[in-house]
Amino acid sequence: MIKVSETGPENDRAGRSVSCPSPPATGTPMTDRKGVMLIESTAPTKVAILGAGRGGTALLDLLHQIRTIEVVGIADRDPRAPGLQRARELHIPVLPHTADVIAHQDVQLIMDVTGDPGMEQILRDRVSPNVEVLSGPASRILWELVQHEARLQAELLHAEKLAGIGSFAAGIAHDINNPLQLILGLAENLTEEEDLKIIHDQAKEIVEAVKRTTAICRDLTSYSRRASSHHDSLVDVNAKLDDALKIARYAVAFHDVTVKKTYAVASTVKGNPDELLHVFVNLITNAVQAMERGGTLTVGSVKTPEGVEIRVSDTGCGIPPELLGQIFEPFFTTKPPGKGTGLGLYNIKHVVHQMNGTVSVESQPGVGSTFTITFPPIYRD
Amino acid sequence: MSEFKSGFFVGGENCNGRVLIVDDEPDIRKVVRMTLQKAGYEVLEAENGEKAIETINSGENRLLLDIIICDIRMPKVNGIEAIAYFRQNYPRVPLIVLTGFPDTDMATSLLRQGVVDYLVKPVEGEKLRAAVGRAMEQRELAPL
Repeated sequence: MIKVSETGPENDRAGRSVSCPSPPATGTPMTDRKGVMLIESTAPTKVAILGAGRGGTALLDLLHQIRTIEVVGIADRDPRAPGLQRARELHIPVLPHTADVIAHQDVQLIMDVTGDPGMEQILRDRVSPNVEVLSGPASRILWELVQHEARLQAELLHAEKLAGIGSFAAGIAHDINNPLQLILGLAENLTEEEDLKIIHDQAKEIVEAVKRTTAICRDLTSYSRRASSHHDSLVDVNAKLDDALKIARYAVAFHDVTVKKTYAVASTVKGNPDELLHVFVNLITNAVQAMERGGTLTVGSVKTPEGVEIRVSDTGCGIPPELLGQIFEPFFTTKPPGKGTGLGLYNIKHVVHQMNGTVSVESQPGVGSTFTITFPPIYRD
Repeated sequence: MSEFKSGFFVGGENCNGRVLIVDDEPDIRKVVRMTLQKAGYEVLEAENGEKAIETINSGENRLLLDIIICDIRMPKVNGIEAIAYFRQNYPRVPLIVLTGFPDTDMATSLLRQGVVDYLVKPVEGEKLRAAVGRAMEQRELAPL
């Protein structure tokens, strides 16, 4: 298996800080099957996409994450096609007409996902012979594969989330059985109690305890459901961080951990709210797990000219510099078998990239770690 | 609300024994106190293992504490660490675990260490009193 490092050289001084940019830089060192370093010397393949409907949008989302491909433009007859909006968000040129794609100087490959049977012939007639064209049945197969890949990613995210919920058992049991003990004790007392004031107060206590218990189920149901659709919406980051803090308490005990919140007013990003919640729960859980003997968890949002930054910091054990470059890779884990899937940070990276964001980490062993997610400013029509 | 009975009465007809409940949840401490006081026990409280160790090491508790009921998942010194301390330093005091999260492996390991009972919340008052009653018998048999 070829392993590609996510580390960009720009941020790796002293081996303490790694960023995971989107789209990834090209010309990144790779290792071959024997672990020998290879330098990817070829320039990226320049691709243009025709058609910005569902197929074009999915293709765009996939291709812009691949370091060996550069999307030089996308076009669609319908100026309101969703892929064109997505391209603008990704800073990929939107070309007004099919002719502009055909005449594009740099393009090496045109991918036709218009679904228009006449387009194949047009391209065959007009495209210069040194430009490859993927059209007709071949592009339909590609579209199927892209859809398949998107489904697998969604499954992976959900599977990892469910695996994580297994670790909630102790937290859930604690938070349900404690109020149940209170309810049982009070109810037993009520069967014998004669003082009306005490009866009244204890009945009220029982009602409150039941409400606390039902809140647990509500939180967990919202967390465990499959991420809702692909429609991004405006998400209040601070409210999501608060939700994540509540849910993370089931996954890991916050004993001796002081929580500090540093929220910027009205921090809003565009993204999938369910997936964002999952990302925050993961980061907070990791941070608390890094502080076995207590410490300070700082959760914050900052508005910058580049967009909104979300930071999750701990004062825990830190990450050794030699491991920093691997933490976003799938199945990388330092936890004992059965304790971690090794997919948490990989999924975080994937979800954040999907939302056009970047994720980076700074860490110092013995001092702590800070994960920073940056989302671009919200694009408005 | 309840009040502490003076240690002066310990062993007397007004007090069946002195019990320390260690739990980070005030609600649990309150219910355990309520349940055991009805059966004539004096109940002391500690919110974590650290406070429990302080309590047992203070004043007459060194000699007069009869039973410890201890949660597992707690801040500061957790239940496992506190139990290890009690077993080493106060082997005569019977320990009952009262936990919200049943874990067979942990139960086995704790019972091997000498914990006399492993109760899972929510536990009925009658069962809790019976467990404390059994522990009291063991405590009386234990060498001083």
